[in-house]
Amino acid sequence: MKMIFTIAWRNIWRRPARSGVLLASIIIGLWAGVVAVGTMNGMMNQRVNYLIDSEITHLQIHHPEFLTERRPSDMIPNVEEIRAFLRTQPEVVSYSTRSLSDGMLQSAVKASGVRIRGIDPELEQQTTTFYRNMVEGEYLSDTFRNPVIVGQAMANDHHLRLGDRIVLTFEGLNGQLTSTAFNIVGIFRSASSDFDTFNVFVHSDDMNRYLGAEGIVHEMAVLLTHADFSSEVTTRLNEQFSGIEAQTWQELSPELSTIVELSGLMLFIITLVIMAALAFGILNTMLMALFERMREIGMLISIGMSRKKVFSMILLESLLLTLVGALLGLLLAWLSISYLSVNGVNFGMFAEGIAELGWDHIVFPVLTSAEYVSILVLVASVSLLSAVYPAFKAIRIHPLEASKGLT
Amino acid sequence: MYNPDTVPVHALKDVHVSFEKGEFTSIVGPSGSGKTTLLNMLGGLDKPTSGSVEIDGMDISKLKDSALIDFRLKHIGFVFQHYNLIPVFTALENVAFIMLLQNRPKEEMNARATSLLEMVGLGERLEARPAQMSGGQQQRVAVARALASEPKFILADEPTANLDSESAMNLLDIMEKMNREQDVTFIFSTHDQRVIDRAKRVIKMVDGSIAEDVTIQA
Repeated sequence: MKMIFTIAWRNIWRRPARSGVLLASIIIGLWAGVVAVGTMNGMMNQRVNYLIDSEITHLQIHHPEFLTERRPSDMIPNVEEIRAFLRTQPEVVSYSTRSLSDGMLQSAVKASGVRIRGIDPELEQQTTTFYRNMVEGEYLSDTFRNPVIVGQAMANDHHLRLGDRIVLTFEGLNGQLTSTAFNIVGIFRSASSDFDTFNVFVHSDDMNRYLGAEGIVHEMAVLLTHADFSSEVTTRLNEQFSGIEAQTWQELSPELSTIVELSGLMLFIITLVIMAALAFGILNTMLMALFERMREIGMLISIGMSRKKVFSMILLESLLLTLVGALLGLLLAWLSISYLSVNGVNFGMFAEGIAELGWDHIVFPVLTSAEYVSILVLVASVSLLSAVYPAFKAIRIHPLEASKGLT
Repeated sequence: MYNPDTVPVHALKDVHVSFEKGEFTSIVGPSGSGKTTLLNMLGGLDKPTSGSVEIDGMDISKLKDSALIDFRLKHIGFVFQHYNLIPVFTALENVAFIMLLQNRPKEEMNARATSLLEMVGLGERLEARPAQMSGGQQQRVAVARALASEPKFILADEPTANLDSESAMNLLDIMEKMNREQDVTFIFSTHDQRVIDRAKRVIKMVDGSIAEDVTIQA
């Protein structure tokens, strides 16, 4: 086996330029492809993690009709029992309670639709990272009466600054519209300018007071130790409590799930294209090498090298050449991703457009060890498959035809 | 017979010949006389349209391809006109390669390969690759390789065709010595009068048939 390995390895370097070109194409193709895959992975992970960490969390609990009807009276029943239950679940890190209403925001400049989110700042900071989005002012401090924080996009739209007053109008529990002045104590900027345009945050106590009752909870957001537990904990909640609907982040954000799936499909297509290019490169190189060595292979069969060994030799040549390129390409990719996973890839020139879509313009590529290994195995498989045709041609060489008799 | 359905070519016609151990035989004849075809038959590289090729009682023309390859590996040595060494191997590796295919132990392989190369006068060139050797040296490596498998006989098609006079004479000296001292059987296909002059038996072929079969030395 060692000598077959030796002959295969040395055969690769008979034509250093030709092998070098294929090697370079494998290295560069894999390097670029894997970094692209890592970047897309990073974008997806960041988007998913951001939404989970800052807004959706891993699961949410609502009254079954709240998300469709948005009535103030569709409150979560048995909130204290649910709190007690959540405290017994080992997967639960924290939770927050929210009261929600859709209404109007009136400023000195104009009026616009808005979603008003009444939160408990302390619970909210334990459950989401949204508080890190503050760019001006404070996160719902008690400095002023009826504090509110608004998105920067909204502030720009309405020409609002810290200290300005806005009027929020929304429906109370009694079905009547209520309008109340709130004081801007902070401005936030999230990854989504859309979100910033249509959402404001107030104290849940203030919200509930104007809704008409204490302790109103329309939404409970639960943070888990890992996203993988979402489904399991959601099922337990739905089984334990009737009169509520617990949903995973995938169910709450189906568009995000779709994006993740589409991203997976795109990655598959990118990988397919790279593998196809690799396959044709290998096929071309191996066929050229074979046609140059037909007489030699005929001689090998003449002197007693079995066709099985000839077949193995051709496959081994392809595999060795590809693996060298693959390992170097993956090494370069790993180094690049290691650096970029800390420093990020800055898509600053597209920042505004990306923000419109809700994406961060600094992306941190990521690729797991399992994904590196998968790519290596895939490349090796493509290499072997590509070499099958040349190997079959090799073993079909008649020693007589290739060697022109015994010569 | 080749091309039976189009333009039939009778490369060999009614050839009946046998060879004994220890022969040093030349098969001669003009181009197209069938001498190469006869050699191919003897080496199992071609099969007769009718008839048989028996070696030590075994009809090799009936063997399947894989069995034939294995038979050649164990029992037949080849020396090609164009040397046909493996260019990426050294002289030592080229000779050892046959024994590798025969699954011999590594120590035996290297020892025997070294011994054979010394026997053909290339003891100082074990690590040289074919590109670093002259034609004569390459052909001597080819002879050593053919001997490495301890074959029943060695077939050589025009072994001196691409060699200068001195190299050709050296090569013939070596092969004659092997034949004389170790009873190695050589069967040549050749135009070279120098080879013919050294042969103990000369088989002359004309138009696919044996025209003459003369034993010169007993």
